[in-house]
Amino acid sequence: MAGPLIFAFCLLAAPQATAAEPAKKGSLASEFARMSLDQLMNVEVDTVYAASRHKQKLADAPAYVTIVTAEDIRRFGYRTLADILRSVPGFYTTYDRNYHHLGIRGFNRPGDYDTRVLLLVDGHRLNDNIYDCPPIGTQGIVDAGIIERVEVIRGPGSALYGSNALLGVINVVTRRGRAIGGAELAAEAASFGSYRGRLTFGQAFADNCEIFFSASAYDSAGPRRLYYKEYDDPATNRGIARSCDDDRYGNLFATLSFGEFTLQAAYVSREKGIPTGAFDTRFNDPRTRTVDARGYLDLKWQHDLSDHTNLMARLYYDYSGYRGSYAYDDGPGVLMTKESSRDQWWGAELVFTHTFGSPLPATGAPPLGPHRLTWGVEYRDNFQQDLHGRHTEVYLHTHNRSRIWAAFIQDEVRILHNLALVAGVRHDHYSTFGGSTNPRLSLIWQPFEATTLKALYGRAFRAPNAYEMYYNDDGATQKGNPDLKPETIDTAELVLEQRLSEHLRLTAAAFAYRMKDIITLEEDPSDGLMVFQNGRRARAKGLEAELAGAWPCGLRARASYSLARAEDGETGQRLVNSPTHLAKLNVSVPVVRDKLFASLELQYTSRRDTLAGRHAGAFWLANFTLHGRDLLKGLDASLGVYNLFDRRYRDPGSREHRQDAIEQDGRTFRLQIIKRF
Amino acid sequence: MAAGRMAGRLALLAAAAIPAAAADHSEREYAIKAAFLYHFAEYVTWLPGAPKGADGALTIGVLGPDPFGATLDEVAATRSAADRKVAVRRFGAIEGMEPCHILFVSASEVERLGTLLRRAAESGALLVADVRGAAGQGAHINFFIENNKVRFEINPAAARRAGLKISSKLLRLARIVEPPSGGQ
Repeated sequence: MAGPLIFAFCLLAAPQATAAEPAKKGSLASEFARMSLDQLMNVEVDTVYAASRHKQKLADAPAYVTIVTAEDIRRFGYRTLADILRSVPGFYTTYDRNYHHLGIRGFNRPGDYDTRVLLLVDGHRLNDNIYDCPPIGTQGIVDAGIIERVEVIRGPGSALYGSNALLGVINVVTRRGRAIGGAELAAEAASFGSYRGRLTFGQAFADNCEIFFSASAYDSAGPRRLYYKEYDDPATNRGIARSCDDDRYGNLFATLSFGEFTLQAAYVSREKGIPTGAFDTRFNDPRTRTVDARGYLDLKWQHDLSDHTNLMARLYYDYSGYRGSYAYDDGPGVLMTKESSRDQWWGAELVFTHTFGSPLPATGAPPLGPHRLTWGVEYRDNFQQDLHGRHTEVYLHTHNRSRIWAAFIQDEVRILHNLALVAGVRHDHYSTFGGSTNPRLSLIWQPFEATTLKALYGRAFRAPNAYEMYYNDDGATQKGNPDLKPETIDTAELVLEQRLSEHLRLTAAAFAYRMKDIITLEEDPSDGLMVFQNGRRARAKGLEAELAGAWPCGLRARASYSLARAEDGETGQRLVNSPTHLAKLNVSVPVVRDKLFASLELQYTSRRDTLAGRHAGAFWLANFTLHGRDLLKGLDASLGVYNLFDRRYRDPGSREHRQDAIEQDGRTFRLQIIKRF
Repeated sequence: MAAGRMAGRLALLAAAAIPAAAADHSEREYAIKAAFLYHFAEYVTWLPGAPKGADGALTIGVLGPDPFGATLDEVAATRSAADRKVAVRRFGAIEGMEPCHILFVSASEVERLGTLLRRAAESGALLVADVRGAAGQGAHINFFIENNKVRFEINPAAARRAGLKISSKLLRLARIVEPPSGGQ
């Protein structure tokens, strides 16, 4: 295998090539100048949009940012956004065989619907307006095959985006029609009788009109047999759930750009069987299932008002719906409980960006250099927030509406040639609880050309959502709490970004988080009912280090280690589902240059505490993907093996599960073929 | 009238020298683009005697606000030391332009770009831009970002009209922009 040889060659050749040249050693531009055209075609630009709401290089972003590109997705065989995000340093996921949940820096409490992460698609907010849930699993609105890049911005983003951006902002950038230039057909088959097809079409017409369209369908029978020892009883089929884990979805995604206007439409509907007997439903009953649908229309206008001022205006409509069917034992018969939610909202935002001021002169001590001012206003009308539930009779029926307006401003200014200040604040006003103001302050210092140091402070909030405020089952187990206040987080972080060579980058971060008024489901001692309350506090501190490289020969590698200690603010106890150590290694080697890539991913997750006070054990997970490109004209193929060594591991369960920890899949396979026309 | 106003506006732009523009752009991105500009020269044949540089130097011009900062000069210095002499010229307005082999036309407004490109085409230079849609408006080569990498599109018809011959190797690496309907 040529792979290791190429690897060794890249490591050795890169520094030597630059050391041999005397002129302007170390300068970025002179390094590029020495490259061949083919090498240049492979250099990554490394820009990020969502960290400041305009395009900037990673070193200038006021955060520790990770970018996952389409190239990574292809080479490592990522199937969903959950796969992509669990490859990100400091991130981990939990799967309860219905939804994937995202953990960041030690936070992923069971039962929270990932409400502390903001998910955007091309800048459009995706968290729904009842559960605040960002869809990252098979219910995700964007097929992995149409993702151009995923920007992962750690830390608080409420100063730009408002609610939910406590632990991070994730912006999924989709592919452009121009880049497809025709049609693309993808077909795949995977373990557990899983099949997926995707048809994508993209084209540029004239030079200012572009169209992109993609549709996918997925159908998975799921494991024929899942065993849960908690149900190992003759009355519950000896703990065996047969064919209860099916999963299917269909989605549509379209983008039409015409001049300064971009119209995007997206829709997904997913139906999933629940095999775990969650919510004390009848075990091994395939009628227990959920359907989640999500859609939106987004019209964006980008206009340059002058050379120094541009405007982005956005008008959108969103839909989110959920239907759950739950089978319960009812004497000799079965009682079907149906629960649903339906939410719709529209909103508009205006964002202005101005650049002004003169550059810093070479000498002298001017007060301030050039500014970049970003400011905007936003309005959102959640005109439908309905919850409905019935068994023999209706027990839950609420209609609500809420409105939000917000204004934000951020200034980026160069104080010295190598020192920039980014300061921003946003105020959100909710018709439900009132206002929340969240600042963010960053100093970005570049003492040497290859070194960037960032000192970051930020506050973020999460508004109580409609589920937490209004869900009740008519006095049976849970009641609503319309008086909830927002929860907040204060964060401090230091980031070091060091370029070690043109191809190798080191990032290290240290962070301290303090969260308060955390909205938590607790028992009300007065009536014994569960209710969401603002009681809890939590704190976390940790360290992260990442070494990442991409070499012109096609080799890509990233190794990272994260240490996080997240604990309850009062008791000092470690949070549930919070691994102290995460380690990841991703290596992708060109076996045949530009043609065939072998990629190995290793992920270590340390022991996690569970709700019952026990733990889910530490585990190593390995995934391997062989990806061939242009094997025949316009034909790509890839074979992925997930959980290569068939390790048994479990993710902590939630309150609704009898399983304290839920067994995950063993070794699975996926074969994918893509044909471009 | 309109042309006069345009020229006036350009002159104004040149006087102000737009420092902010340089600070806005990613240095890394423009360092990559600067290196590309140099390489384009290897794959383009100019009309005999069209643009002339002093002692056979390759002349790269920047028209309008310069987004490259120092990166273009560094590329020129590096390549000049290694093999071919490269000279960089900056022009505030099209009026005072000297002949060059490669002309990078920078503009933040697409409408003005079309006018600029039409007038610059007469100079016989290879016209390079990095504005969406510029290749359809007469730029011979236009940069764009895809998959986190710098890519370029080529309008072969426009290049042919300017008497430039672009090698097939460069065309293979590029996305080809066909002339809009009606254009030959």
